[in-house]
Amino acid sequence: MAHDLLNLLVLWSVYLLFALGMSVVWGSIGVLNFAHGATFMFSAFTGHLISTRLDLGVVPTVLLCLLVGAGLAVVAHFLIVEPVLRATPNVAAAELRVLIASIGVAAVLLAIAQTATRSAPFGFAPVAVPLIEVAGVRISLIQLLIIALGLGVSLGVAVLMRTSRFGIALRGIGLDPETASLMGVDRTRLAAAVMGVAGALAGLAGALLTYHLGSIVPETGDLMVIKAFAAIVLGGLGNVYGVILGTFVLAVAETAVLTYTPGTWVDAVSFGLILLVLLVRPHGLLGRAEVRRT
Amino acid sequence: MSGVLGANSVLVQAMLVNLLLALSLQIPLRSGVFSFAGLGSYGLGAYTAAIVVLRFDHPALLALAEGVLLSGLVGVLLARLLRRLNGLYLGMASIAYGGILAVVVANGGALTGGAEGLYGVVADLGLTEITVIVLLVVVAVALSERGRTGRAVAAVREDPELAAAMGVDVARVRFVVLVAGCMVGGLAGGINAIMLTNVAPTDFGFHLAVLGLTMIIVGGARTWLGALVGAAIFTWLPIALQALGDWRTVVYGCLVAAVAVWAPHGLIGLAGQAVRAVRRSASRRKPPGPGAGRAPTGAAEVDLLAGEGVGASVGRPM
Repeated sequence: MAHDLLNLLVLWSVYLLFALGMSVVWGSIGVLNFAHGATFMFSAFTGHLISTRLDLGVVPTVLLCLLVGAGLAVVAHFLIVEPVLRATPNVAAAELRVLIASIGVAAVLLAIAQTATRSAPFGFAPVAVPLIEVAGVRISLIQLLIIALGLGVSLGVAVLMRTSRFGIALRGIGLDPETASLMGVDRTRLAAAVMGVAGALAGLAGALLTYHLGSIVPETGDLMVIKAFAAIVLGGLGNVYGVILGTFVLAVAETAVLTYTPGTWVDAVSFGLILLVLLVRPHGLLGRAEVRRT
Repeated sequence: MSGVLGANSVLVQAMLVNLLLALSLQIPLRSGVFSFAGLGSYGLGAYTAAIVVLRFDHPALLALAEGVLLSGLVGVLLARLLRRLNGLYLGMASIAYGGILAVVVANGGALTGGAEGLYGVVADLGLTEITVIVLLVVVAVALSERGRTGRAVAAVREDPELAAAMGVDVARVRFVVLVAGCMVGGLAGGINAIMLTNVAPTDFGFHLAVLGLTMIIVGGARTWLGALVGAAIFTWLPIALQALGDWRTVVYGCLVAAVAVWAPHGLIGLAGQAVRAVRRSASRRKPPGPGAGRAPTGAAEVDLLAGEGVGASVGRPM
């Protein structure tokens, strides 16, 4: 029981880090970046290549993945997102074109990793992880680190989105880009920055999940996008607390399915949640009806 | 002739299946309905055809019909369920349909063969039959791009509110295209299962979504000709790129991203632009006279009807 609870918290933290970036980007610049999952996977893959060669420890590997994630996202931003947003005034058409272009980017990164690894699982250089015992439950320091980072970073982002100038400007362009620009918000720079932050979060999540599981496969990234999408629509788009709630429900549901059924059904949880939520409450648990910007 | 066809018949069959797959995504997309339900239907049609052939020994055409019928029925259900959704939400919800189906058939026990899938789906289905079926579908799609229906579809895509104001039943158009996409997807899956004599849960995953999108985005998402161009390119390109080995999927991804960013109407769109540019410079060179500045043969009116002027300008001497 306590063991399941620990796994649940770890899963929640990783989902939260991943979905948070995707949600903030989607809620502010209106871009659903399918390549977010590929960024996640490819950061971990780069970490694998470098950490196994140089025998890096936990901290350098995690930092490396974080930087690679941020770099990939910013490159993707200037290669696909910015040109499409510039060329397509119609918001709905721009969303679709960015989604399609980002599926292309995701396919490229996936193909590179698949070809290089022959679709075999990959992990980081092995590290000796100290175990501590709390109330009869053995917890590895990695698990503690994941939970602390996941909850800490997410709460930090939530507070920043509410109070900092950066967060307010972001929510401003999410609500009304034109008025926000008139108020002195530099949309172009902000868009690149928010993509970079989201990429860093994806890279962080990729490193942490790889440490937790020992290894991941190249296809993990695409599945993460579907899961994060489920969590975001469940909580309600453009709402940080919604992401926190949505990823929690997803993690609980997946842990329950893993515990009480054969593991082969677990992938259906997020798909089922997507269908269910969109049918019953299309704007999510915490979302408001107004999502589309005019 | 028959020798050439014989050597290439596997490729031609693959191209026809790819064309149907592309159409299953393109038919809804043409009306602005971003539905991947055709991919789930591909799996449903493939499994239905495989199961009725294996269990009940049905002939190929009957098996295909059953797959299409079931896909259509599920499509009706989906279209009813998802009718309030739009854009990205619809896209992801319809991806979820295929995802759930893949998990269900992987857990389906003896009926679906579990993770291994089904083997030995042997039924008599020749290239002629496949060609005739695909031809019928293509003609139906091509007809729906013309005249009143074509204009209604374009209006629903470009401006649903305006279309509703002009008397187009927007909800009905969106319903019909989603179901039609599902049926074509089911047909593609069924033909593929019988052609390859096997089907597995991994057959209709993310890579199929990428392939389908690649074909219609690179070819052109607005006309059946775009789907045909895309299907032809991505059936023969793998052979041309054989030297690249596994790296060719990298090339596909780059193509999708590049075309989505720089040429949103695909190769067909580029060809249309080129044709118009040539015409413009030709008419500028002529001395001004009565009717100058207009392309000959009333191309201006045709352009209005076809939206992009693409469907109409093809087939004219370039």
